[in-house]
Amino acid sequence: MKILKQFGVIFGVCWVSLVIEHYLPFSFPASVIGMILLLICLLTGFLKIEHVQEKADFLLGNMAFFFVPAGVSIINYFDILKSTVLQLLVICVVSTIVTFAVTAYVVTLTVKLMEKKKGGRKA
Amino acid sequence: MKELMTSPYFGVGLSVVAFWIGEKLHNKLKTPICNPLIVAIVLIVGVLLIFDIPYDSYDVGGALINMFLAPATACLAVAIYTKIDVLKKYWLPIVVGCTAGSAASMASVFGMCKLFGLDQSMTVSLIPKSVTTPIAVSISEPAGGVVPITVVAVIFTGILGSILAPTLIKIFHVKDSVAAGLAIGACSHAVGTSKAIEIGEIEGAMSGLAIGICGIITVLFSMLIM
Repeated sequence: MKILKQFGVIFGVCWVSLVIEHYLPFSFPASVIGMILLLICLLTGFLKIEHVQEKADFLLGNMAFFFVPAGVSIINYFDILKSTVLQLLVICVVSTIVTFAVTAYVVTLTVKLMEKKKGGRKA
Repeated sequence: MKELMTSPYFGVGLSVVAFWIGEKLHNKLKTPICNPLIVAIVLIVGVLLIFDIPYDSYDVGGALINMFLAPATACLAVAIYTKIDVLKKYWLPIVVGCTAGSAASMASVFGMCKLFGLDQSMTVSLIPKSVTTPIAVSISEPAGGVVPITVVAVIFTGILGSILAPTLIKIFHVKDSVAAGLAIGACSHAVGTSKAIEIGEIEGAMSGLAIGICGIITVLFSMLIM
């Protein structure tokens, strides 16, 4: 029953976020609305972590598996991909590495600047 | 026989078996190329092609698995909640880093599309490729992009991120768990996050956070340029 209840809570949050998505004046995906909504519920104490813990562990622990059907759908687009597959590969690989490096570097740099400022204030 | 394939048990069962084989291979070979997700996709595509099973039959079960994607994304909130102290302490680097990462992603894709001489519709299809599928589609579709291309690029980028993440952390000497997690989330959204969760708790939570923040920032940027 515990797991069943947690299923209910999380699916409920997802449904409410679908409703929110429907009434928002701009397009914003329900899954991210659900994430923000659940975080707000937890932070305000409306939901307690015990209400969702096991189910969340199950979903997060198996996250990669839930992408299998989305990946298999590539089978439908073989024709479109044939002509540009090489460019697509290069673009994906290069931009993934660039994005990773820029994000990691900027975060590290900002953290360092913050710490320096803090240190400066102390001194 | 044909009707048996359209039972949801077929798609779900095939997916679980394929992913399980991928996991076993991954544990045995320990090479990042042997990503369970890739192995599962290749195996299933192979089975469908060899036995001439229509994608729609598989997708009866596939849609059931797909249904768990949104709840799984929502549950990243739980990962973030348990690391809320990190979020409070590092909110500035998180926002600045995600902004820079989103800009770098869009700019690098745009630059390479121009370099390869790809047309406008292809370019707008690829520009949002580092963010999670629903956001990427909501950007590319109204701008005249080809939705299937966006979907393929998003998933491929995600798989790439999850394969490359451990190597990239080493190559770029990323010692900070917060920076590593955000970088994984920024470059490869939820698929990469599934890997970040395996690397560490902070990495997982920060990667999840980056999905949301980079998603929002990418939407804002695309409103400005498209």
